[in-house]
Amino acid sequence: MALPNPALTQIPDSYKYGWNDPEATSLNIAQRGLSADIVEGISRFKGEPEWMTKLRLKAYRHFEARPMPQWGADLSGIDFQDIFYYIAPTNKAVQSWDDVPDYIRRTYDRLGIPEAEKKYLAGVGGQYDSEVVYHNIREDLEKQGVIFLGTDEALKTHPEIFREYFGTVIPANDNKLAALNTAVWSGGSFIYVPKGVHVELPLQAYFRINTENMGQFERTLIIADEGSSVHYVEGCTAPTYSTASLHSAVVEIIVKKGARVRYTTIQNWSHNVYNLVTKRAVAYEDAVMEWVDGNLGSKVTMKYPSIYLLGERAHGEVLSIAFAGSEQHQDAGGKVIHAAPNTTSLITSKSISKGTGRTSYRGLVKVYPGCEKSKSTVRCDALILDEEARSDTYPYMEIDEEDVTIGHEATVSKVGSEQLFYLMSRGLSEAEAAAMIVNGFIEPIVKELPMEYAVEMNRLIQLQMEGAVG
Amino acid sequence: MTTATATTLDAEAIGRISDHLDEPDWLREHRAAWWERAGRTPAPTGQEEEWRRTDLAGLPRNGELLVDAPQLIINVPGGLRDGVILTDIRTAVRQHPELVRRFLDARQGQASHAHFWAVAQAAWTGGLFCYVPRGVSVDGTLVARTSLTDASATYLPISLIVADEDSSITLLEEVTSPDGAAGWFGGIVEIQAARGARVRYANLQQLGDGAWNVGAQRVVVGQDAIVTTLNAEVGSKVTKVGLDVQMAGPGGVSKVLGILAAGDDQQIDINTVQDLAADHTTSDLLYLSALYDRAHASFYGVTNVRKGTRQTSSYQECRNLLLSPQAGAEPIPVLEIEANDILRCGHGATAGAIDPTQLFYAQTRGLDHDAAERMIVRGFFEQVVAKIEDETIRGRVLAALAGRIGTSEDLAA
Amino acid sequence: MTALEKPVTGFVTVARVGDVEPGTVRVVEIDGRSLCVGLTEDGEWGAIDNVCTHDGGTLGEGELDDNAVECPRHGGRFDLFSGRVLALPPVRPVSAYETVVDGDEILVRLS
Repeated sequence: MALPNPALTQIPDSYKYGWNDPEATSLNIAQRGLSADIVEGISRFKGEPEWMTKLRLKAYRHFEARPMPQWGADLSGIDFQDIFYYIAPTNKAVQSWDDVPDYIRRTYDRLGIPEAEKKYLAGVGGQYDSEVVYHNIREDLEKQGVIFLGTDEALKTHPEIFREYFGTVIPANDNKLAALNTAVWSGGSFIYVPKGVHVELPLQAYFRINTENMGQFERTLIIADEGSSVHYVEGCTAPTYSTASLHSAVVEIIVKKGARVRYTTIQNWSHNVYNLVTKRAVAYEDAVMEWVDGNLGSKVTMKYPSIYLLGERAHGEVLSIAFAGSEQHQDAGGKVIHAAPNTTSLITSKSISKGTGRTSYRGLVKVYPGCEKSKSTVRCDALILDEEARSDTYPYMEIDEEDVTIGHEATVSKVGSEQLFYLMSRGLSEAEAAAMIVNGFIEPIVKELPMEYAVEMNRLIQLQMEGAVG
Repeated sequence: MTTATATTLDAEAIGRISDHLDEPDWLREHRAAWWERAGRTPAPTGQEEEWRRTDLAGLPRNGELLVDAPQLIINVPGGLRDGVILTDIRTAVRQHPELVRRFLDARQGQASHAHFWAVAQAAWTGGLFCYVPRGVSVDGTLVARTSLTDASATYLPISLIVADEDSSITLLEEVTSPDGAAGWFGGIVEIQAARGARVRYANLQQLGDGAWNVGAQRVVVGQDAIVTTLNAEVGSKVTKVGLDVQMAGPGGVSKVLGILAAGDDQQIDINTVQDLAADHTTSDLLYLSALYDRAHASFYGVTNVRKGTRQTSSYQECRNLLLSPQAGAEPIPVLEIEANDILRCGHGATAGAIDPTQLFYAQTRGLDHDAAERMIVRGFFEQVVAKIEDETIRGRVLAALAGRIGTSEDLAA
Repeated sequence: MTALEKPVTGFVTVARVGDVEPGTVRVVEIDGRSLCVGLTEDGEWGAIDNVCTHDGGTLGEGELDDNAVECPRHGGRFDLFSGRVLALPPVRPVSAYETVVDGDEILVRLS
């Protein structure tokens, strides 16, 4: 979502660590570029425990040492030294509504986004009125023993559970961008659901009002204890403007025995953003993990939500929609690792490329020896709408157990001319007919979204098809 | 003459091949140009996507280059006429130099195997040349067999098959070598089908159990031509081949079939490219593998529908039956689609065991487990076998696979 | 890990006190096997298989944080004493070897 509009009014605990001049520190780390000093400065400024500072510095070393990935999308446009890694309270990146690009403003109008929300999404305005909603929800959750906090806060208030799980699903050196995130992370959500507790209401990212809301390097950690369930939702279909050009989040999820987690993301970053995300979940015995992943925006997205099925009868699903308009490249998909018997997985991917856009499905199904009776189905369908658009499918499979059923099917097509003709003969314009077909194409995944997202998604597709925006 | 090995091959050794085979200058120059190109196209490092799954370090490079290649055993029912040529390539160079020269192409096979293609183009010492003139239809199945006697030798034959406009031919190539020693068989095959030509080509590989089969194939399908290729991998310790299919003219059709039954510690690693570069072309691929013991099959195949093409049709399927706990498969069919005016495009890949229900029903018909399994595997392979129109080829392939999968006569016993 | 009066049968020497800096691991090739031998900051010795079960990384070339051996390839972590997985991406544990200190020799039982 929008850039943080922080209002740090409290004196940070960093005084305790001997940093005598928080002002100077905040100015030091509020500059472009990255160094061990800046990483340490960020940690001290936040008043973090020593183990986190050490981890950040180790992660920074790994980040420096690792080369950029040689596969996937073109990341040559990223200049790591030209980025603010920590936005201090006094820095507001977007000052006025006039700075927000036209195509975003037009989309807000067409989608009918309320004035206050518009400004919030664009990072211009102050707090959104959901602060009140957030407080009420917090009270309900607290009664059930559910912890739902910003990650920064959780590190301070729940250190043992934090330390037990942080970095166990995605370690600091997993890949270059995870190393970067581990070094400079700020913001994100921490959720712990106790045994047997079912959180009925989907928890939403923008309920959490704190200083680093949906920033560049969010770190989210979700632990669903045995038998519990929770649905977490982040992002929104309306385009979100960010002056920050690199967003590199990490999401770790632990789904314990018999528990169930669904994590829904709809991303529609402005077209200057490189969105490189590492998302991974572990699912134990009888657990269910579902990733619902919508990629609409950004210049480049590289994201492959993964599930490690570590316990018998665990089940994982990835439902992925990718829409690439001109100049966009959505490189997305999903990975499932079967590491126990009787595990099942389903990956469904629907991609659409328009204009000069490019969608690439990249996925992995891996079955370790000993995982008998496991089943996996991958279904990827791609729609290429225009002559200049492009679609790729890279489905990797590593099957080292005999007694399994693993399948993958993919199709690539264009909008059928008979279908189009039929709809137009019923009075729809070509754009309306195409929009209807595209909406039908993605319907199996859209129906899994919370209702207001689904409605917005459909309207957004319609706008994209009409070419009325961007 | 002092022979060379794969490791000691150099420009001089290439020159000595021409000396030994008493070759014309144009062929000498052809070899030298390809050798120079091989130098500029380094061998894969193993970091490349297509080479990650097979460790080339074990490729036997110390076997002597087989300069006195074995005679090609050719079987032509009814004899050759109407200007049809099918002979070993050295003879063809002597007897039909203009033809060989005309069709010995300067173009590479697919990028991932470029190094091996170039080396073989420079260092071939035997192989096959087949030419069918315009409008000629060859009846029956032509068979060409290579039997190597020394498994440790390095042998890089070239098979050049040219079907001129509106011609038609069915050709089966077979290669065998003894078990035991490790040697590099780096055969390359080039099939050129001109406008309206019909080619059915099958390659039945039954190399010995120490052989490394690292080679490449390139098929160029002209306008309205129809080319069906079948690669049956039965032998070898390691097979790593690259198949490149170029749909070069509108209306062309290609069917790429593959069938393999591997066991023990065999490793089969196939890379394919289906390049749909012209309008209204069709390219379908079906690779089936049955894997026993500790065998492993990898498949990385790319379907590329080029920008600006219209109404192409492609489907890529790779299906693997795992018949033992330690067998493994990695089927990776890749699509890179740059055009949207597609008639049809898709792919599918599966890996897994025999459906237990199927096995159960077969056993209730009185078959023991092994016989039931073999019957089901034969049923699985039917998807490819049924697409082999030529009876001779079908018969030979099934006979070669019988060692692993039995035959339908077993049921009568 | 206790210091013993005499060497115990079935154990082989993999290192000497002083060979390994506290808080680090190293590779030891012995009897046809490749081990990752480590000494924690607290002075405890441990030994596990050297090959990461995720993608074949060399654990002995990684880092040691408390008792966690970090694979240099993708950051996976194993417990130095039990071989248990502490962080993904590996999912299968590595073998761990009983380790004792005898005088200034570090002995490991390769069963």
